[in-house]
Amino acid sequence: MSEPIVELRDVGKRFGTVVALEGISIAVRPGEVHCLLGDNGAGKSTLIKILAGVHRPSEGEMRVDGRPVAFGSPREALDAGIATVFQDLAMIPLMSITRNFFLGREPTRGRLLARRIDFARADSIVMEELARIGIAVRDPQQAVGTLSGGERQCVAIARAVYHGARVLILDEPTSALGVHQASIVLRYVAQARARGLGVVFITHNIHHAWPVGDVFTLLGRGRSRGTFAKAETSEAEVLAIMAGGRELKDLTADLQVARPS
Amino acid sequence: MQTDTAPPVPRPASGGLALGRMLRRPELGAIGGTVVVFAVFAIFAGDSGLFTALGVVNFLQVSAQLGILATAVALLMIGGEFDLSLGSMIGFAGMVIGLGVTELGLPIWLSVLAAFAFAVVIGVSNGLLVIRTGLPSFIVTLASLFILRGLTVAITRTVTGRTQIPYVTEGSEEGFVIWLFGGKFGAPLFRWLGEVGIVPLRPDGVPMVQGLPVSIAWWLGLTAIATWVLLRTPFGNWIFAAGGDANAARAVGVPVARVKIVLFVCTAAAATLFASIQVLEVGSADTLRGFQKEFQAIIAAVIGGCLLTGGYGSAIGAMFGALIFGTVEMGIFYTGIDTDWFQVFLGIMVLIAVLVNNVVRRKATEARR
Amino acid sequence: MLTKGLKQLVTQSALAAAVLLGAGLAAAPDALAQVKDAKDVKIIFVTHGAATEPYWSVVKNGVEAGAAAMGSQVDYQAPQTFDVVQMARMIEAATAAAPDGLVVSIPDAAALEAPIKSAKAAGIPVVVIDTGLEQQKPWGLDLYVGGGSEWENGLRVGEQMGAAGVKHAICVNHEVGNVSLDQRCNGAAETLGKAGGKVSVVAVTQDPTDISRRVEAFLTATPDVDGIILLGPAGANPVLAMLEERGMSGKYKMGTFDLSPEILDALVAGEMMFAIDSQQYLMGYLPVVFLTQMAMYKTMPTDPVWTGPSFVTGATAGDVIELSKQGIR
Repeated sequence: MSEPIVELRDVGKRFGTVVALEGISIAVRPGEVHCLLGDNGAGKSTLIKILAGVHRPSEGEMRVDGRPVAFGSPREALDAGIATVFQDLAMIPLMSITRNFFLGREPTRGRLLARRIDFARADSIVMEELARIGIAVRDPQQAVGTLSGGERQCVAIARAVYHGARVLILDEPTSALGVHQASIVLRYVAQARARGLGVVFITHNIHHAWPVGDVFTLLGRGRSRGTFAKAETSEAEVLAIMAGGRELKDLTADLQVARPS
Repeated sequence: MQTDTAPPVPRPASGGLALGRMLRRPELGAIGGTVVVFAVFAIFAGDSGLFTALGVVNFLQVSAQLGILATAVALLMIGGEFDLSLGSMIGFAGMVIGLGVTELGLPIWLSVLAAFAFAVVIGVSNGLLVIRTGLPSFIVTLASLFILRGLTVAITRTVTGRTQIPYVTEGSEEGFVIWLFGGKFGAPLFRWLGEVGIVPLRPDGVPMVQGLPVSIAWWLGLTAIATWVLLRTPFGNWIFAAGGDANAARAVGVPVARVKIVLFVCTAAAATLFASIQVLEVGSADTLRGFQKEFQAIIAAVIGGCLLTGGYGSAIGAMFGALIFGTVEMGIFYTGIDTDWFQVFLGIMVLIAVLVNNVVRRKATEARR
Repeated sequence: MLTKGLKQLVTQSALAAAVLLGAGLAAAPDALAQVKDAKDVKIIFVTHGAATEPYWSVVKNGVEAGAAAMGSQVDYQAPQTFDVVQMARMIEAATAAAPDGLVVSIPDAAALEAPIKSAKAAGIPVVVIDTGLEQQKPWGLDLYVGGGSEWENGLRVGEQMGAAGVKHAICVNHEVGNVSLDQRCNGAAETLGKAGGKVSVVAVTQDPTDISRRVEAFLTATPDVDGIILLGPAGANPVLAMLEERGMSGKYKMGTFDLSPEILDALVAGEMMFAIDSQQYLMGYLPVVFLTQMAMYKTMPTDPVWTGPSFVTGATAGDVIELSKQGIR
C-alpha cells in the first residue's frame, strides 16, 4: 500500500459551541477512490472544507505527503495539489468553456502591458481535454450553460485534473444528476483514478459510490462510524451501517423506487 | 453521445461559427439600438441641425462624458456590484479641484492629482465596506452617495459661503493641463474641413466647429482599454467570474476581493475624470454637479448589454449605450418636443433594451442539443 | 417588404438631409437680404429655470403670449434641475439649429461664456434675460431684459428690513447653488449689516414640507429672529402656511421676491411688508417681440429694458391678485 498523499489524523472542528467534527482519521492514497458516506448533517461539508483549505481544524493534524500542513486559503490547498469540485459551484454558466477551464490559471503570452490570454492555445487544449472525456463541443467559446449538468461536472473534474491535481475532492458530483449523466461522471472518476490520482468521493448515495469506490468511510453526526476496504464488505452491509439496521428495509424500498427499471 | 473511445478531436467549423458567435455578443442589442435611434432622428429631425457638424459634436460631447462613466460602471456591473455614489463623487472631486486652486492656491495639476488620490481612497473604502460587511453594494454606495454629497456641500459652504466655485481656470498659465481635460483637438483638420466646405463657416470666417472636445478622445481611449482588459487579460476573466459566481471564482483561487476593490477605484476615478473635464472646460465647480449621473451611467451600461446581476456585458456595449443616451437627450431638443418627454422616451428605451438583451443572452447561454 | 420600405425611407431621409445641408450652405448669405415673414422666424429660449417652477412658468406664459402675438415660432428649453453644464450643451445645440434669435439667462458666467459667445459669433442675435446683466455689454450681446442685478435687489431688501427695525433676519434659500439666489441673501446681509442687524441663511430643498419644518425648527431654536426674507413663491407659500397654522402670522417682518396669490393675500392682510416683483412675464414676452422684429426689420433697442424691481405692497397688492392666479404676475 502506497503512502497517503493527504492524511487527516484525529481531526475535529468546532464552531463556537457546536461540534461539527470529532476524531476523524482519513488517508487518501494515489490511485484510490475513497468514498465518504453519510446523510445530511453528518459533517461531510465541514470535512470537505477542511481538506479544501476553507477551514482549519480545531484539533488534530492534517498532513500532505507526510508533512503537517495548515492551509490558510483555498489557493494554498490548490497549490498543494488538492483540487475540490463543489456540487453547484463548479462552473460559471455565463462564461465560455475555455474561460471556465482556465479560470485563475489563464495561459498568457506577451509581457507587461501587452500580456494577454493565449486563446489559441487555450481553445485547443480545451478541445483536446474534452475529447478525451468524450465530450464533443463545436466551439469551446460557447457558454458553459449550453452543456448538460453531467458534462459540466466532467469539465470541472477535467479542469482539476489538467491543472495538476493530485487529490480530487468531489462533493456530491452525481447527486443532482440523472442516471445517464451520473454514469458519465463515474466513468470519468474511474479514468482519473487510473491516472494515479487520489479521489475523495463524497455522497449520500451508496449506489453511485459502490461501483467506483475502493475504500469507504461512514460519517454520522460528526464522527466516523468506520472505514472499510471494498474487499472487506458489501453494499448491503455499508447501507446497514449507514442507516441503522431497523431502517434498512425502508431504505431499500425507497432506493428501489428511485432505481430505473 | 459516444463515451467509449475518444473520438477524433473536432475542429470548430468556420463560417457559421463566426456568425453564430457574432449574434451572441452582448453588444448586439446596443448596436441595433443605435441604428434605430439614428434612423428615427434622421426621419423626424433630419434638417433641424442635429446632423450638422456642430450638432454631431454637440451630442457626441454629451455621450463622451456619460460614456466615460458608463465604461467604469459596466466593468463594475459585470463584476457583480453597483456604485451609486458616482454622482456625488463627481461633485466631491470638482470641489477638491476648485477649492485646491482657489482657496489653497495649488497649481491645477496638483489639485487634479489630489482629486484622483481621493478617488482611490473612496474607491477602496467603498470596496472594503462591501466586502467586509457582506452588504449589497447598492446599500453601501447609497450611503456613500449621501455622505459624499453632504461633505461636498458642507465643506464648500463652510470655506467659501457659496455652493459654486468660480474662476478656477481664470488667469491660469497651465494651458496644457486645462487643454488635456477641457480643450479641443484637431484644429488644423477642422480648418481644412471649413475651407473645403464640409464644415460650414461662421460669418467671421471661422469654421462652426473648431475642434473635437478631448472628452471624446478620453471616451474612446478608455473604452478601448476597458475592452482589452475585459476580453483579453486574465484580470478581465476574473471580472466576469467575480460577477458570474463569486464563490465559484474564489474556489478556484480568483482574488475576488481584490478585483472588486480595483473596480470600485475605477468608478471613483472615472467620476474624477468626468469632474476634471467639466471643471476645466467650464472653469467652475459646483456642489450639485453629477446629480443622478450614477443612474444614467447604469442605464447606458444596461442598454449596452450588461446584466444587472453581473457576469455578462461589454464595454463597447456601454459605449453604444452612452451614444444612444446622448443622441436622444440632445436629439429631442431639435425635434421641438418638450424636454419633459425625454424621460418618457428614456424609460421606454431602457425597457426595450433590457428585453432585447435578455433574448440575446438567453440565446448565448441556453443548452443546445 | 417592410424592411425594404424602411431602408428606402432612411436612404431618402439621409439624401434629403445632405441636399438640404448643401442648399443651406449655398443659400445662407442670401437669406439675410429679403424681409422675413414672421411665421418663418424661429427663436429659442435656453434658461436655467424649468417651466415647472412658479417663477419661470410665468416667463413661459409670456413667451407663449409673445409668440401668439407676433406669429413666430418659439421654443422654450431648460434643464430639469439647476445644471449649467446641461445649459451649455443646450445652447450649443441651439446654435447648431441656427435660429433667428437666442434668449438666454446667465446664472454662471464662466461656464456659459464659451457657448454664448460662439452663438453670437455664428451670427445669431442674443438677448439676455433675468440673470446676466453684467455680461451683456462685455460679451457684445444684443440686449438685456430683466429685473436688474440680484445683488442690488438684495441691497434694497436689506435696506427695507433695516428701516423696519429688523435686527436678525433669516434668508430662506430653496435652491442652494443658484448664484442669483445666493446674491439676494448676500446683498440683504450687506445693507442690513450696515443698519446693525444680521442675516442667517437657512438652506432648504424645494419640498414644501421640508421647507416649513426646517424654518419652523430654526425659528424655535433661534428666538431672536424677527425678520424673514423669502426668495420666491416656492419658499414663501409653505412658510406663510406654516406661520398661519401656528398663529404667528404678523409676528415676523417679512419680505419676499416675486409674486404668487398667497404672497399677494399676505400683503393685503398686512402679514408681509413687501414683495419685489421682476415682472418676469415681460422677460418672456418682450424678447420674442424684439427678436422677431430684428429678424424682419433689423431693429433692436439700444439700452437694457428694466422690468423691475417693482415693489408691491399691501396698498397695491389687491389689483394684482387676479393676474397672479392666471400666471401673468
